[in-house]
Amino acid sequence: MLNVSGLCSGYGNVQIIWDASFSVNDGEVVAILGSNGAGKTTLVRTITGMIRPWKGSVVFDGDELAGKSSRAILDHKIVQVPEGRQLFTEMSVYENLEMGAYSKETKAKLAESLEFVYKWFPKLKERRGQAAGTLSGGEQQMVAVGRALIGLPKLLILDEPSLGLAPNIVDDILSVAHSMAKEQGISVILVEQDITKALRMADRGYVVENGKITLEGTSEELEKNEHVKKAYLGI
Amino acid sequence: MEIFLQACVNGLLIGGFYSLMGMGQNIIFGVMKIINFCHGEMLMIGMYLTFVFNSYFGLDPYLSIPLVVVIMFALGALIQHTLITPSLGTKSFTNLLFLTVGLGMLFQNLALVIFSPNYRTITTSYSSKTLSFGPVTMSLPKMISFIGLIIVTVALFWFLKYTPTGKKIRAVSQNPIGAEVVGINTKRIYIITYGLGCALAGIAGALLTLFYMVYPMVGASFSFKALIVVVVGGFGSIQGAFFAGIFLGLLETLSSLIVGPTYRDLTVFVTFIVILVVRQVIKLRRR
Repeated sequence: MLNVSGLCSGYGNVQIIWDASFSVNDGEVVAILGSNGAGKTTLVRTITGMIRPWKGSVVFDGDELAGKSSRAILDHKIVQVPEGRQLFTEMSVYENLEMGAYSKETKAKLAESLEFVYKWFPKLKERRGQAAGTLSGGEQQMVAVGRALIGLPKLLILDEPSLGLAPNIVDDILSVAHSMAKEQGISVILVEQDITKALRMADRGYVVENGKITLEGTSEELEKNEHVKKAYLGI
Repeated sequence: MEIFLQACVNGLLIGGFYSLMGMGQNIIFGVMKIINFCHGEMLMIGMYLTFVFNSYFGLDPYLSIPLVVVIMFALGALIQHTLITPSLGTKSFTNLLFLTVGLGMLFQNLALVIFSPNYRTITTSYSSKTLSFGPVTMSLPKMISFIGLIIVTVALFWFLKYTPTGKKIRAVSQNPIGAEVVGINTKRIYIITYGLGCALAGIAGALLTLFYMVYPMVGASFSFKALIVVVVGGFGSIQGAFFAGIFLGLLETLSSLIVGPTYRDLTVFVTFIVILVVRQVIKLRRR
């Protein structure tokens, strides 16, 4: 459903992403792995139109998205949970979720989607009147995921959901993402530094190093790969 | 006691103007992180518009408010779209400083050319009517303006809290990246925000015209007061600006009553310096 090929991008005149190609199928969880500064977030921002690609193509359900605005890409139902959550900290949990409804369709289905989000994250229902900035890190991440789900994604991109969270909360968030893919048929791109956890959830993975995709394979293949073991798993 | 009450009422009134100016300034700061140095000139333009509508078309100053709002919003939107948004792209604070200060000078001098430096006033059939509430006497225009300020302030809070556009303004102000993630058109919000800020200054001008003289430099002192309100109330905080504005108005009138008009500004500035220092000390202690 998503086919990225030969993608190059960067900031100013500094190139960060070099000729990246990868694909995501329907209902699949794909992990994009790499250490800090490898270019993972830049890759996400390029796909979601927050940075214009310099070269290459991003085809989603047959439509070319490269060069389109972030809003236009959102209208194709590619929704991201950005790195660092990027919540509206002084707004209530409810208002944050509400902001996730960006189109006529998502606004019309807001009540239904809210029920869906509250079912997965009952804590958010309890805290819906509270300012998002006063929540714990894990709860804030739930709000960020919830806000993205309100946008009724076909492709959900999670950018480093584990950043700064306790391990058991990371497991919760990742298992919700996994269920979304397997039960709701939403494709998921999971961008992670925590490679062990990411590979446990993902069907396939790509390894990004210095802005280039250097390895790809199923989760089992990557777990057994000598380079991955040495460089990332510390085995 | 009566003088004291009277001073309080006058303080609330002038404070209401400072609040309105400060809130407009702070909405703009919140969304774009720029200080609008020509905010006082927007008030001046609002005053001259009201003056023109009254002296040339016989329109009541209060009835001209809707027109002033529309014109000021359009002017603000035009300035934002053609000048400020492109300058924001340069990410240079100096550029924006020169731009807004320069616009202020341009408007002052345009007013000087068009209206001459003479002080102008407008009078209506009800200009000299007064109302008495027990010991407090207030002129009718001041009373109407006071009610107008309350209505505008409540409407502004309601707009920001409940309308979709108001929520988007808050969203961009709190987290521009988050706003882009949820598909908010930031440039459109910039235009609305700057237009809104200018419209608020225009309303303040219209409400002020019946009991304040109109002249090309009238905005300067209000620009300055709005800046104090923003600094003391907290950059980007609408509620902060509201309270700081009221406080500034009360402090001015009460200090000229208690220590005399000569030391009024001294008292005001010393108080605010003390507030800033104390706040900073509290902040550092908490760390």
